[in-house]
Amino acid sequence: MKLRAKLAARAAGTLVLGLVTGIAAVQAQEVTIVLPEQPANLEPCRSIRADIGRVINMNITETLTDINVKSGQVGPHLATEWEQVDELTWRFKLREGVTFQDGAPFNAEAVVASINRLMNPALTCDSRSKFGDVVLTPSVVDELTLEVASDIPLPIMPTLLGTVQIVSPNMPFDQEVNEPVGTGPYKLAEADNEHILLVRDDNYWGEAPAVTEATFVWRSESAIRAAMVETGEADLTPAIAVQDATNPETDFAYLNSETTRFRLDMQMPPLNDVRVREALNIAIDWEGMGEALFGADVIRANQMVPPGNCGFNDALTPWQFDPERARALIEEARADGVPVDTDLTIIARNGFFPNAAESVEAMQAMWSELGLNISVQQLEAADWVRYLDKPFPEGRNPTLFQQQHDNNTGDAGFTVPVMYTSEGQYSTVENPELDAIILEAMTASGDKRCELFAQAFAMVHDEIIADVPMYHMIGFVRVGPRIDYQPDLKTNSEVRLSEIGFKG
Amino acid sequence: METPGETSSAAARTSPIPLPLRLVFRDPMAAAAVVFLVAIAACALFGPMLIGELVEKPNFRARNMAPFSLEQGFAYVLGADTLGRSLLARLVVGARNTLGIAAAAVLASLLVGGALGLIAGYSRGVLGNLIMRGADIVMSFPSLLLALIVLFSLGPSIPNLVLVLAITRVPIYLRTTRAEVLEVRERMFVSAATALGAGHMRLLFRHIAPIVMPTILTIGALDFATVVLAESSLSFLGLGVQAPAFTWGSMVANGRGYLASAWWVAFWPGLAILLTTLSLNVLSNWWRTYSDPHQRWRLELAKRSKAK
Amino acid sequence: MFGYVFRRSAQSLIAVAGLLVLVFFLSRLTGDPAYLYLPLDSTEAQRQAFNELNGFNDPFYVQFGRYLADLAQLDFGTAMSRNRPAMEVTLEAFPETLKLASIAMTLAIAGALVVGSLAAAKPNGFFDRLSMTVSLAGASAPDFWIAIVAILIFSVSLGLLPTSGTGTPLHWIMPIAVLMLRPFGLLTQVVRGSMLGVLTSPFVKTARAKGVSRRKIIFVHALRNAMLPVVTVAGDLTATLVNGAVVIETIFGWPGIGKLMIDAILRRDFALIQCTVLVTAVAIFLLNIVIDLLYAALDPRIRHQAA
Repeated sequence: MKLRAKLAARAAGTLVLGLVTGIAAVQAQEVTIVLPEQPANLEPCRSIRADIGRVINMNITETLTDINVKSGQVGPHLATEWEQVDELTWRFKLREGVTFQDGAPFNAEAVVASINRLMNPALTCDSRSKFGDVVLTPSVVDELTLEVASDIPLPIMPTLLGTVQIVSPNMPFDQEVNEPVGTGPYKLAEADNEHILLVRDDNYWGEAPAVTEATFVWRSESAIRAAMVETGEADLTPAIAVQDATNPETDFAYLNSETTRFRLDMQMPPLNDVRVREALNIAIDWEGMGEALFGADVIRANQMVPPGNCGFNDALTPWQFDPERARALIEEARADGVPVDTDLTIIARNGFFPNAAESVEAMQAMWSELGLNISVQQLEAADWVRYLDKPFPEGRNPTLFQQQHDNNTGDAGFTVPVMYTSEGQYSTVENPELDAIILEAMTASGDKRCELFAQAFAMVHDEIIADVPMYHMIGFVRVGPRIDYQPDLKTNSEVRLSEIGFKG
Repeated sequence: METPGETSSAAARTSPIPLPLRLVFRDPMAAAAVVFLVAIAACALFGPMLIGELVEKPNFRARNMAPFSLEQGFAYVLGADTLGRSLLARLVVGARNTLGIAAAAVLASLLVGGALGLIAGYSRGVLGNLIMRGADIVMSFPSLLLALIVLFSLGPSIPNLVLVLAITRVPIYLRTTRAEVLEVRERMFVSAATALGAGHMRLLFRHIAPIVMPTILTIGALDFATVVLAESSLSFLGLGVQAPAFTWGSMVANGRGYLASAWWVAFWPGLAILLTTLSLNVLSNWWRTYSDPHQRWRLELAKRSKAK
Repeated sequence: MFGYVFRRSAQSLIAVAGLLVLVFFLSRLTGDPAYLYLPLDSTEAQRQAFNELNGFNDPFYVQFGRYLADLAQLDFGTAMSRNRPAMEVTLEAFPETLKLASIAMTLAIAGALVVGSLAAAKPNGFFDRLSMTVSLAGASAPDFWIAIVAILIFSVSLGLLPTSGTGTPLHWIMPIAVLMLRPFGLLTQVVRGSMLGVLTSPFVKTARAKGVSRRKIIFVHALRNAMLPVVTVAGDLTATLVNGAVVIETIFGWPGIGKLMIDAILRRDFALIQCTVLVTAVAIFLLNIVIDLLYAALDPRIRHQAA
């Protein structure tokens, strides 16, 4: 009797233990991710916005191509191969055996519909901005082949298509929605004002990811996000401030594909004098400020694309901190009649990036040491943006415009023309020689393209000194002890659940 | 034997120091409050002239330096902020903007709200209702939206900030004043004065207003803290005073990210705000006791117990 | 009585209308929404198209006319940034704030009444000084500072409470505690000041002389008469809480209407701004009517005036 009872007890115990660990094992496949902001909506054609893209990109919906951040090369994803048929047309072969999460077949027709939906004027698709004013005309060739034609040559069409989320043809064409349906490994299960739940789709065409369920929540204070991972309330946060990244076991720095700079009003005196522009670049204690405000891993920038980007010129030497020479240059300019006493204004944006305001204060103090009359205007985003594009506001003082630019596409074509050509929307540069180089780069492809962009960057940095590049910005992730996650260049705008693994 | 009353009046006749001052210094808390307020007023008036550069120039070697060490000199005894600037220096200089903005906003809203409240409470007709509905509109207008609109269209300057803060506070003084006036105007002395031929304005400003003043001033003293804190919240949301200008409130808002790693950046200015409010309130309570004929004996009694 | 409520409601409606007009026009003065809505690298053509699509290029009065026409059909517009009807989004968020605000204010008022009265009973005594200092200290520290420190202490260091979010009753403790500190501090001061005045008035002295017990004097006779300024200040504070719990909601991730409003404002989502303002305005006006009724209940002299 006693023996039987003991055996029964042991069996029960094992059963319970099995159940518990079983449950634990099941629960161990769920993650909670805390984001810095609530996604405004879940419309895939707006996924270029970081708040939306973090949840949707490569989780719920996917793209034809995928940019490998380490190599900068475009690789296949939903499209398996492609070729440029003529100057204005590209042909893509699509992957077989893929279906959308609602059962609709993935084929050329569906891709054509997705592209047309992106360009639909009735919708406000943010992702459209990558294409500028180009008109795309996609067409079906056969079940798994399509052609995409453009009205001007687009040598980087495959790269551009890496931003277009392919959605089910059943999604409303003329309406933006909050229920995205794609081909990705996760389905949208729940979404309300406090959380978003993604559940693994077992019909996914690719390798099944480890995470079975992911819950996204959001807190705007970095300290709270960091605290949540520390207490175990969350497993991962893709962005915390440098001052919260205090634990080297859980906090990892990563280049987040943003580069900061001050754009100079080059056409307005005294900023039209190259000596003044050089003085501005060497008057700043770059090392001291970088380490103090942005973390020891921040990288001094000489150009406006991050390392690894096609066009990145690693031969450029940074301007060194040399306040003596800076003062001398200003005096020299003054002696030549350049009006260095003109009132200059720094146009800064509230909450632009962590410690942005502090960096502006520091730089203003250091520039004032040169004897310049320089003041700060901290503006709210909607106000700041008036200075971003041409035409710039009339009657302004010569401005030093604080700017942060994101380029994780691997191609400098998204950066150089808009910033440095005479017609460029953000540009204050008017240099025909530079224009020619950039034009050639835009129509070239492959290595030639990268070389030409690198040449453009060299000219901008060494000869023209068109701006004051600051840093290649770094972000910090905090990764909880349960999971395995390596951040990369895209982490700021995408959180790929398939890249999350479990420890032990 | 002399009675306390005789003692004080005898003392009043002979001492050059005015009675209120002497009574204040008998009470240790009130005395401390006066000393503190005088000190920060001095900071506000003379601080920027005396301190100067320490406040603005970044000193990266001293960044986030912890307090209570004299390594980098006396100025850094309270520690340094992210750019290595002395917190003590910034506290002293920040007093001017902080006190200035708060005082201006409180004064403006007190005067406007009080005046409107007097009228609204006294009037028995449409005017009163109109004023109250106007106050309702202002009170329901989200202060954030108002701040954004004013600061966007008129520019993010300090006077505009004062304007925003003042506008949002007016309804409070208005409603409180009106409530008190509603009650006071039914009292006997008002009917008496009317019977004696007092006109409306005279009644309002000479008779009713002084009765209502203590409550309003109490609220004003408390409101000072609210305004300083509201300005701090505006800074938290990015709408407050803009760099390089700063107030204690903006120092706390900007330092909040460092609470886990460099607590002193946000702590000292927060403490300064707290002590200022505390002092104002202690003084206002003291003044309320002093000015009320029914209550003054408590202060004078305190004097006698010390003389024992 | 009903006549009074009806009149006040009618007046309030006019005020709400006035507020809506103000918000409508003033929010459109804050700049071009295309700049904020669309990505920075959008082209001019894309921005123009956006403005055309949403009718932002029309003159203000045309936009306003359209808005009124929609309102008449109870169509409050679509929250552009969210792809959802604005009123739906607003009515989801508002009860969350109400929950926080009502509990916080109730606790604050109750606490203030007790502490303030006891303090006033023995002015300048030990309890008076202590309670005054403590309550004032709570009211003088920035709420985000207190919130973050509380989270650091109670969640991270001690592991007693969750950091943020909603869900279990445990999640409510810190947000409400932080939210009620300022009202409690302010109201304690007001109660004390008001009670001080009342406790020295003739009728109290009469009651004392008649031998009425101390407790009865404070809590039954004196309190009632001291309530007027308390009711006013409490009412104002509740209104501020509804409008301004934004900091607490931001830090604790509480999906309330304060956070919704600031998001809408910063994104220039006009329909959502108008909706949130409308809902909070109506709530505040209702609150004011209740307060006015309370005045009348507390003070018979006013009651006769109001009737």
